[in-house]
Amino acid sequence: MNFEKVVFGFFVVLALTLNFGFFLGELDNPAHHSVFELFAVIIVNFIATVLKFGDRSQIGAVLLATSLVADLQLVAAATYWTVVVHVTETGLTPEVMASIVSFTGGALIANIISAVILVAETLMSRL
Amino acid sequence: MADVVDISRVSFIVMREMRTPIIALIVVYAISILGMVFIPGPVIDGKTQYMSIFHAFYFMTYTATTTGFGEIPIPFSDAQRFWAIACLYVSVITWLYAIGSIIHLMQNPFFIRALAEWRFSRQVRKIPGPFFIICGFGDTGSVLTRGLSDYGKSAVIIDIDEERIKALQLRNYTVSMPGLCADAGVPKHLLEAGIRSRHCKAVVAITNNEESNLKISALARALNKNVGIITMSKVDVFEETLVTLGGEVHIVDPFKTYAKVLAAAMHNPGFYALNNWLVRDRGARLDKYVKPPQGTWIICGYGRMGHEVNRVLTKYNMRTSIIDPDPKNTTKNEYIEHYIVGRTTAKTLSQAGIENSVGIIAATDDDGHNLGILLNARYFNKNLFTIVRQNRHHNAVAFNASNVDMIMQPSLVTARKILFLLIAPLLKKFFGYLLADKPGREAEMKQVIRLLRERIGKRNPHLITIEVDEEQSSALLKRLRSGKTVRLGDLQRDPRDREKRLDMVVFVIKQGDQEYILPKDDFKVKEGDQILFCSTRLAHRLFNATLNNEYNLFYVLEGKYLPRSSLIRWWLAKRGKKGLVPGKFKAEA
Repeated sequence: MNFEKVVFGFFVVLALTLNFGFFLGELDNPAHHSVFELFAVIIVNFIATVLKFGDRSQIGAVLLATSLVADLQLVAAATYWTVVVHVTETGLTPEVMASIVSFTGGALIANIISAVILVAETLMSRL
Repeated sequence: MADVVDISRVSFIVMREMRTPIIALIVVYAISILGMVFIPGPVIDGKTQYMSIFHAFYFMTYTATTTGFGEIPIPFSDAQRFWAIACLYVSVITWLYAIGSIIHLMQNPFFIRALAEWRFSRQVRKIPGPFFIICGFGDTGSVLTRGLSDYGKSAVIIDIDEERIKALQLRNYTVSMPGLCADAGVPKHLLEAGIRSRHCKAVVAITNNEESNLKISALARALNKNVGIITMSKVDVFEETLVTLGGEVHIVDPFKTYAKVLAAAMHNPGFYALNNWLVRDRGARLDKYVKPPQGTWIICGYGRMGHEVNRVLTKYNMRTSIIDPDPKNTTKNEYIEHYIVGRTTAKTLSQAGIENSVGIIAATDDDGHNLGILLNARYFNKNLFTIVRQNRHHNAVAFNASNVDMIMQPSLVTARKILFLLIAPLLKKFFGYLLADKPGREAEMKQVIRLLRERIGKRNPHLITIEVDEEQSSALLKRLRSGKTVRLGDLQRDPRDREKRLDMVVFVIKQGDQEYILPKDDFKVKEGDQILFCSTRLAHRLFNATLNNEYNLFYVLEGKYLPRSSLIRWWLAKRGKKGLVPGKFKAEA
């Protein structure tokens, strides 16, 4: 067992599960989507991205790319949230909430790909 | 492919090293922001105010960077202030740690090397035209690089000594000369120097280590089958190996080269003057003939130079006396009149018969000793012809002041020989022709020197090789392809006034596999010809203009102006005229 692998797998899977947790619920209902959950998703995704730095293999490059996609989607969602609450002060209307949650839905797909690659690579090295 | 890996290597080193500091920053920010959000703020209208994530992130952004904008959006409660103190200290320390790791990485010698190699290979790829790789930037390398810079040719330099590469970067060359401090005997470095590039024309291995020169030559051949290889070798065993590499390989031995020049000076006095003038030797003039006298010569120091010089002198039936500290090594059948064992002093010079000698050659590998020999010898015999070997470039002032007939500087001889091999490969044929032992050659040599004095005189000579191809002479090529004959004499007319001739002398034209030495004015130039000529800088520019500008070429060849407007060209063609007559505004047949 390699401790580094444990940490790496932990953050990749945690990013996926938190993301899924935030995504779960009615698409346009603000009560079903917590801001702290989004915050946690972003932080864990950032950490997962940085952990993927410095891997020179082809699989490492694809893993890093999926993480960057997820980061981009989540940061877009968070920025949108901040703007509607603090800048325009229009509040979390159902339309706004729907678009924020769909952004995180995109990130969820990227995180799923990331996790699938991780599992596939692990299985390949075991065989 | 090798270059690509290298660039990613630098960025991956940065990313891998920065992994821990960046994660630390993310974690510290996350905990601080969460803390600020959950800690109860001041109570306003009986309601406890909480910070939003956005405001907490804003607060952390200016606190962690110690900017400090105050308590925003509403004054903090004491609980929030307590947490802010912790946040400030921890986040500032984390930032210092992150910046410290970057600085630490920058100071890592391996990282610096990787960065230098990456920059170097990027510079090499930016060189637009043909270039050469020079391994070794000692006396020879720096003279050679300066020469290439004068001719506007780029070179890539690899040297194992960091001081020399730093010195290289401070020189003011006319073209880019990237340098890398590395062992050229490692294939990776040769690849970074662009040995596989189609622009790389030759690899010059002139380090002061014979074995690494051999290794570089072998590697160069393995990495690129078509690249030219020029190396300096003084050991016969290595030469045998080098010859078997195949392809274009030149081995330069400064002492053999010098012996050839000396031999040429013995039987053809004009040659030494011509050679020195072409290499732009200090004080060389075309009318300053040097002819070593006949008689007994004294050679001080019987090393590599002593051997070669002795061979030349005895070939021209001169008697030689040798003074050397080591006893005679008689494995080769050489003719030596006296062999005196000992250091060169007044006593040994008398023993060698200095009073009745005509010349002395100070050929030891110690500059101070060589100058001492010169002073000693002059004391006995004021009319001696003196040849002295100068080993180190930085002693030049002392040697130039000592008024010697010939100075032999091995590094200079090598550098000039290599320079000519690189920029004027046809020159060897030209010299071979002039020096051939055939009747009339001496007269031809005098004719060449007369022509050069007439056309170039005291100005700096430029030896130029031009090829009749798309890149170097587009207008001429277009005309040749349209089936017209072009004569060499017409090409050499001045494009400003065709009655005058450009200040240039054509030495050799290579047509197919045939070399034409000193071609006449009615020589027909063909596609693919290589032309070697000597000219002034201005004449070179004007000649280039003739070869590449079809209006200039038309005027030079036909004596008429080619109209630039196609309407007028059509009108002239309709009337059966070819061009406009200079000075008149009317068309003429």
